[in-house]
Amino acid sequence: MLMVPQAPVPEAQAAGQAFNPGDLILGHVSNTPLAHPLIHLPTVFGIDLSVTKHVFMLWAVAATVFVVITTLVQRFVRQERLVPAGPMNVLEIGVEFIRDTVIEPNISRKWSDLWTPLILTFFLFILCANMVGLIPIFDVLGLLNHYVFHAGEDAFLTRLIHGGPVATGNYNVTAALATITFIATILAGTLAHGFIKHWKNLVPPGLPAPLYVLLIPMEIVSMFVRPFALTMRLAANMTGGHIAILAITSFVFIFAGMFGTWMAGAGIGVVFSVPLAVGISGIEIIVVLVQAYVFTLLSAVFIGMAINAHH
Amino acid sequence: MGVAIAYAGAGIGLGLAVVGAGLGIGRLAAGTAEGIARQPSAERQIVGATNLALFLLEGVAILAEVFCLLIILLKN
Repeated sequence: MLMVPQAPVPEAQAAGQAFNPGDLILGHVSNTPLAHPLIHLPTVFGIDLSVTKHVFMLWAVAATVFVVITTLVQRFVRQERLVPAGPMNVLEIGVEFIRDTVIEPNISRKWSDLWTPLILTFFLFILCANMVGLIPIFDVLGLLNHYVFHAGEDAFLTRLIHGGPVATGNYNVTAALATITFIATILAGTLAHGFIKHWKNLVPPGLPAPLYVLLIPMEIVSMFVRPFALTMRLAANMTGGHIAILAITSFVFIFAGMFGTWMAGAGIGVVFSVPLAVGISGIEIIVVLVQAYVFTLLSAVFIGMAINAHH
Repeated sequence: MGVAIAYAGAGIGLGLAVVGAGLGIGRLAAGTAEGIARQPSAERQIVGATNLALFLLEGVAILAEVFCLLIILLKN
């Protein structure tokens, strides 16, 4: 289930005479193929530790978020006055927004201090990882490579350019994030009610016995469906927007190939593709913000459900 | 033939998912608008209560679309 479509080998595209939108779109959203990773690392316990593009982006985003946020907060803590200055204002708006709309309504006051760091980390990390996809870093690098650098087929730069830049568009990344939520849910219930009581809280007490036969499997299934839905929602939303933009842009080349002249492609580009792609990019900005918010909101709701189990 | 059926199934499934999600979001939006019109002071709570259901609904629709995409990707 958690397989990610492998990027087609670049040679096949270069050699292929006909334009294939499917390969192009998959190549722009999928991970680098395992045969050509960015950095080769040995296989440990049957797991290939090679660094692919999504792993690389994951680390890059995590490091950036860590350095920027830590620097900002350290500077704020060290200064004399309590009024934030400069970029700290933006961070404070974000933190206050998450505290007021996500954490306080869902997690009770007693436990909110414990779970706020996790929820805020989720929000900032997912937001930044999503936003990288809106910045055309690798497309610009690809253009530069094509016209200026002329890096070879096996050069690090060439391998870096291919594949999607959005780490959260990979099911494996979001599955890992959802697993953290899943463990946090169990931990929250255990800390609040004790280990046995947490599992008892999953079903309401005092029902007739036949109902439990139905209810207990349902609760167990729903316990696993929740992180699964979290995984799919984030990854599919992040991939979906990119696929839509690429498909609409592909019309230019499809029409140019169909009519045999570049004029047809340019016409459809000016009239249809470019305006629509710009509009969808605008929607993407909203989607990026909303999906980061949704993931944190649902994580907070699940943690809150384990803590305030009022059956 | 099999490939054609797979494509048709994915397309029809995608359409059905969009119809269902559209109906659901429409009902949610209508309910929220009515609620706020009746009780403007409770706007924050109403929007909060709607958001959660909206996101859960969206998750189901996205799941349907992912499975439609999987039909296309795994058709052979």
